[in-house]
Amino acid sequence: MATSMARSGLRAAAAAALRGEAKSGARPVLLNKRSFSASAHHDDAYETAKWEKITYAGIVTCTILSIYNLSKGHPHHPEPPPYPYLHIRNKEFPWGPDGLFEKKHSEH
Amino acid sequence: MIESQRHSYHLVDPSPWPISGSLGALATTVGGVMYMHPFQGGATLLSLGLIFILYTMFVWWRDVLRESTLEGHHTKAVQLGPRYGSILFIVSEVMFLFAFFWASSHSSLAPTVEIGGIWPPKGIGVLDPREIPFLNTPILPSSGAAVTWAHHAILAGKEKRAVYALVATVSLALVSTGFQGMEYYQAPSTISDSIYGSTFFSATGFHGFHVIIGTLFLIICGIRQYLGHLTKEHHVGFEAAAWYWHFVDVVRLFPFVSIYWWGGI
Repeated sequence: MATSMARSGLRAAAAAALRGEAKSGARPVLLNKRSFSASAHHDDAYETAKWEKITYAGIVTCTILSIYNLSKGHPHHPEPPPYPYLHIRNKEFPWGPDGLFEKKHSEH
Repeated sequence: MIESQRHSYHLVDPSPWPISGSLGALATTVGGVMYMHPFQGGATLLSLGLIFILYTMFVWWRDVLRESTLEGHHTKAVQLGPRYGSILFIVSEVMFLFAFFWASSHSSLAPTVEIGGIWPPKGIGVLDPREIPFLNTPILPSSGAAVTWAHHAILAGKEKRAVYALVATVSLALVSTGFQGMEYYQAPSTISDSIYGSTFFSATGFHGFHVIIGTLFLIICGIRQYLGHLTKEHHVGFEAAAWYWHFVDVVRLFPFVSIYWWGGI
């Protein structure tokens, strides 16, 4: 609070110095207005347009990445040796012998 | 607000939904245990419980929407409740996911001899982090940008733009879930393949589940925005969805860096 008050005071003083003494006092009310972040004036229309552009940039980036990724095709992994910590079965699954996302291994 | 009321608090009417939700939760847990062990009727009880919970969620939130949007009970003082509630809920979700990343780090930082003393364990094929995982990572932050676009559009009173922005948010979310499904389908290991599979699929799976919850939340907000429920001054439901969505999209960066990238090379 104190630093922002000091900062706005300095800013007002600097602006007054820049304008020169002849013009000082023309719009003193505006210059002395302190700008705290909580009360800062957000232009929502401007922000809406800005974030719309950021979203489009994101969509374009993701689309390019997707095309690049999907055109490469997916790699095939060799079947590992039957280590005891792989394919763990303490009891049968309620739906049957195959785990989730697992059936593909027998299809290959 | 009712004019005879001399305070700004919402004194709620008696409601059957807390007890129906509790009974649904009881049936779900008992049915879930029965389903996972070979008991008769487990699947039936589990399904009944889930249907009961889903029905309760629908009618309870329908009542809240009526009280807030149509009856005007959600004054500024009342809005504080759902705000604090949403924040505390998200904090608890952060802790929940933290536990799964902890489990993953615990198992991978000092891999035991039983799995070959290396991470990923010997014989485990891992996904290339530069492929679908890398593709899927910027999709959620893009969706986060779209929800910020929607938020500013609501504040600016641009009702149609807000609907478009929410359609973009939800579309990106669905694409992300689609790629996650594709990744799981192509993954060389499963949840029953060593501690790697357990930690990998519980962490990424729970994150994916949260993405789906957030997507449903945003779909509801999109429908409400389309129906004109959300105003410049009063859109707590949307704010909660946006906070939740930012939690989900930021959290995605942690499994990408620690599980897919560091843990997969």
